[in-house]
Amino acid sequence: MNDTFNWWSVPAIIIPAAIAAPAYAAQYFTVEQAQRALFPQATAFVARPVHLDAEHKRFIADYSKVSLRVDRQPVWRAEADGKLLGWFVLDEVYGKHEFITYAVALDANGGVRGLEILDYRETHGGEVRDQRWQAQFVGRHYGDGLQLGKDIQNISGATLSCKHITEGVRRVLALYEAALK
Amino acid sequence: MIGLRRARPLLGTVVEIGADDVVAGSDPGSDAGSDRDPGTEAAIERAFDAVARIHALMSFHDPASEISRLNREAAHSPVEVSEETWQVLHAAQRLSAASHGVFDITVAPLLVELGFLPRPAGSTVSDWPSERRGDWRDIKLLHGRRVWFTRPLCVDVGGIAKGFAVDQAVAVLRDSGVRSGRVNAGGDLRVFGAPQETLHARHPAQPTVLIPLPPVSAAVATSAGYYRHRDQDGREVCPLVHPHTEQLCDTRRSVTVYAEDCTSADALTKVVSADPERAAPLLVAHGARAIVLEADPASGGCRVYDSAGGARPDGQPGRRTAYA
Repeated sequence: MNDTFNWWSVPAIIIPAAIAAPAYAAQYFTVEQAQRALFPQATAFVARPVHLDAEHKRFIADYSKVSLRVDRQPVWRAEADGKLLGWFVLDEVYGKHEFITYAVALDANGGVRGLEILDYRETHGGEVRDQRWQAQFVGRHYGDGLQLGKDIQNISGATLSCKHITEGVRRVLALYEAALK
Repeated sequence: MIGLRRARPLLGTVVEIGADDVVAGSDPGSDAGSDRDPGTEAAIERAFDAVARIHALMSFHDPASEISRLNREAAHSPVEVSEETWQVLHAAQRLSAASHGVFDITVAPLLVELGFLPRPAGSTVSDWPSERRGDWRDIKLLHGRRVWFTRPLCVDVGGIAKGFAVDQAVAVLRDSGVRSGRVNAGGDLRVFGAPQETLHARHPAQPTVLIPLPPVSAAVATSAGYYRHRDQDGREVCPLVHPHTEQLCDTRRSVTVYAEDCTSADALTKVVSADPERAAPLLVAHGARAIVLEADPASGGCRVYDSAGGARPDGQPGRRTAYA
């Protein structure tokens, strides 16, 4: 080791904050693509949004131990020639710095048959809870090109968490018990 | 350019798998968003299946996993394990020997004590004082893929299995005819088929700020404490423990290791986190390179330490690395 520089003693460089990239976003599926991926044999997806009243919300919070923030949950009935195959539930979870849209496919008996993440976005923080910031993603289509972190191909470093997704799935299962069963 | 990308929650993180069209039956004109090549979809699906299988075999939390079974039974009599678990244990033991025990999958009881891992049902190992605990040398790999613990141990392969899962997923994509692709399991990343890709790591003090790193042409892994820290006596700590000193590693740093495969990259991040100076020869032996990021409070940016920065013959710091 004596003939080589000790890499640990002096930084090779100090990167100023200014050249750091701000945020990251990736889109994997539109709603329609996720529906086809999770229910490839379906011939129709019938929108059946669930309007959540106070009683639903109480039940879901008790059952899943996760509180519910929305009044309306987007849900589709997946059908093959009129016969119920299962339910496609669109859901969103967010943490301090992240926002994830995902879909859970439930079979006709309420069992989870699949899950796909539709998109994953990171921010510095405050924007996530800002409705206007969220609104920019509504009605988005694949290829619309979110400009956030466009040149970022890969991040080495954990995603912010998948804990929220796990909690979200629990909440979706409670929603099934409360309103779809 | 990667044609198709999918992401699922697995291995305690979000796993992203991307692939271009498979060799056979591909349509070069097809757009990722429109009708996709079913062969590529199927290849990605199989790659996720491989990751899910490793998750199920090697979870520390799941009592039904092979690792949990080893922790319950392998001190009583040898336990036969799957090919995958066998390979991970072999890789772990090789690295433990090469690092003189700085990498050690038997540090799990310490992590249990510190509250980073749940106490496994039926295990009393973590109640023991540290001088009675065994270490990696008490793991015996016997013929017939049988594993024997010569004294009660509690192993956690979390420090290497994620990288192994990435390597397995890449092998599945290649076997399926995918020419180029990438697998990113929340920090453990492998790309293939493309010359190189850009890479960013998180700022150790502000995880949503991304720091550009040298590009990656094979595998890379990052270990950091930013999302798993908790207070111990008022300090921020993360679940990286030096097995000899039982000291927790500094949470304000992140360690990124570039290597040929992700299993090595993942495990080497733990060695560098525990002992950056002594990791140097091991990095060289693996053809690996480490980059450590440390918050620089003065500028709000990052100090970058680069193990390849020491290769200059004049012995001066490697200021002309990829950042120059």
